Amino acid sequence: MAGGVAAGLGTTIEPARAEQSSAAGSSELPPKFTPSAHSIPHSHFSPFTTPDYLTFADDLVIERNVPNKPHQGKVLAAIQAHSDDIPLFAAGTVAKLIDEGYTGYLIRLSNDEAAGSTLGHGVVQNEADIQDAAKAMGLKRAYSFYYRNHRMDDNAAIEIRARLIFLFRMLQVNTVFAMDPYDHYDENPDHLVAGKAVEGACWMSGGGKDYPEHYRAGLKPARIREKYYHARSPQGHNLVNRIVDISSYIDHKVRTNVANQGKGPAGSAGARLRQQLARQGKKLPLLGNDDESANFAYVKHFLMDDFQLLGRQFGLEYAEAFRYIGPEPNYVGNIVKYAQDHAVPL
Amino acid sequence: MDTHGRQSLSSAPAKVVVDRPRPGQPYKGRVFVAVHAHLQDVPYYAGGLCAKLMLEGYTGYLVRTTNDEKYGGRTIAQNILSNEQEHLRMARALGFKDAIDLYYRAHRMNEISPVELRGRLILILRMLKADTVLSFLPTGEEDSDHRATGRAVEDACDMAAGESDFQEHLEAGFGPQSVVERYYFHTHAAQPFNRVVDIGPQVDKKVDAMVECQSQGGGGLGAELRARLAKERKRLPLLGGDDRMANREYVRQFLLDEHQEYGRPYKLSYAERFWYVDRHPPAKTKVDEYVAKNAVGI
Repeated sequence: MAGGVAAGLGTTIEPARAEQSSAAGSSELPPKFTPSAHSIPHSHFSPFTTPDYLTFADDLVIERNVPNKPHQGKVLAAIQAHSDDIPLFAAGTVAKLIDEGYTGYLIRLSNDEAAGSTLGHGVVQNEADIQDAAKAMGLKRAYSFYYRNHRMDDNAAIEIRARLIFLFRMLQVNTVFAMDPYDHYDENPDHLVAGKAVEGACWMSGGGKDYPEHYRAGLKPARIREKYYHARSPQGHNLVNRIVDISSYIDHKVRTNVANQGKGPAGSAGARLRQQLARQGKKLPLLGNDDESANFAYVKHFLMDDFQLLGRQFGLEYAEAFRYIGPEPNYVGNIVKYAQDHAVPL
Repeated sequence: MDTHGRQSLSSAPAKVVVDRPRPGQPYKGRVFVAVHAHLQDVPYYAGGLCAKLMLEGYTGYLVRTTNDEKYGGRTIAQNILSNEQEHLRMARALGFKDAIDLYYRAHRMNEISPVELRGRLILILRMLKADTVLSFLPTGEEDSDHRATGRAVEDACDMAAGESDFQEHLEAGFGPQSVVERYYFHTHAAQPFNRVVDIGPQVDKKVDAMVECQSQGGGGLGAELRARLAKERKRLPLLGGDDRMANREYVRQFLLDEHQEYGRPYKLSYAERFWYVDRHPPAKTKVDEYVAKNAVGI
């Protein structure tokens, strides 16, 4: 993500939620064609919420809350190019899985220098923000590789991948969250580099021949069994086969986004709007009476609205959408079973 | 000296130090890592020094950066396998504790990411707690694999001591590591050298290592010569009665000329040459010395 977009009083106000344009407003697609992408409804309060289109698989699963911490002992890594990626697009699901027993880690690849009053201020603020955002999601620790923001396509992709493999093995990661490596029309070069590096690292971190010096160092192979790939809005979109009900975790997601003071559309945007109105002798009741309430309410009302609109498409209050890749079938086991079931005496 | 206090490779003749055997294991507890590109590099350029350092107490580790796929005269795949196996045997012959292969494609190291190679070497130096590194000079090498290896090793040695580079290593328990000594191989006549190492007592170990280099380096030429002569109904007494002896004596007789030449001016039977850089921090800094001389009571 780059910079932030916060409503100021000079901004043209888009239609309020109840009046947003219909998701599939009008189409001139002749009836003989079946649409392969579906436009998603938006409130138009921020571009950095849900994508403009999603394509859906025919075996979509709605992932709901699971009690009794079924994921105890599992480890997830949430990898982002920038400090606001996971908070904006996946924080609800990350918080849900942590609550369901996962231990989780946040890995940020860039230094976020592109947001801040100066480069130096941007780097310092975002470095602090990822710690707070990690805490808000319940993650154990945040790592950062500090590659230069918006220049990640200048870096050696293989080096980024190697470092991710090292971390996956050190932390014994089973599950990853990342920007979809094929996020269509995503303009930000960092996202695609990050997604591809994660994809390759997932493939290789279980291998015995890749970076054998890690094993000499005492690390063990890491077999990534589950991947949650999210799209980046507005233009980025991906294939969706999992909708996650984050209704119980929406406040976690809000707090995570409020933690991003240095980058993104959230942070202290609520406080700034409240102060701006106050200078004009006005107030917006939903922003409350102090900066903390204003920041929380701003994010929940204006930035989480589109996740509510997405959720309601599936009968949920709030939702996040993913291309989910799950554990592989036991291919060899299936062959063995077939052989056992169908073998005949010699 | 340059502004960083490093001894520079000037064209003026360097003061040569002769490094002689030291009894009693004075280097016990220290670690050296020898990083070479090809199977035959360390045996030829530094096999004697490696054996000497280990005899004097060092624990030694060997890192090979390429897969040597171009050497061996067979298919690419067969070359990779033969060099891999010979590398393990050669490392055992010299007494290395472990050998790590990075398998970059031989002759193509200038297409790989230098930062990736550097990152791997930094982890290795930290993991092994290397005090001393042996490798190629980062400049002046004609072989592109040597050049890429030397450059990456140089950078890795500099960065391994930093706390801000690859902080995930520190997290994994591999703290910053200062490499305080470097020995750069003397690979051709035009390269500078400032250290001549007496390898006379270690020459048999050097020969043992060179004999294992059969896919490259001439380690098997003795047996080949013996077989060829036998077909002509001849023999060379030097080569002895079996292939192993033939290989050893061939190496000793024909492949160590340069090492005898290096030793001659210093009355050594065999020697290896290096450009040696000492990066031990001074016992006392200039500030410490000034304070000691000039501080007064309050």
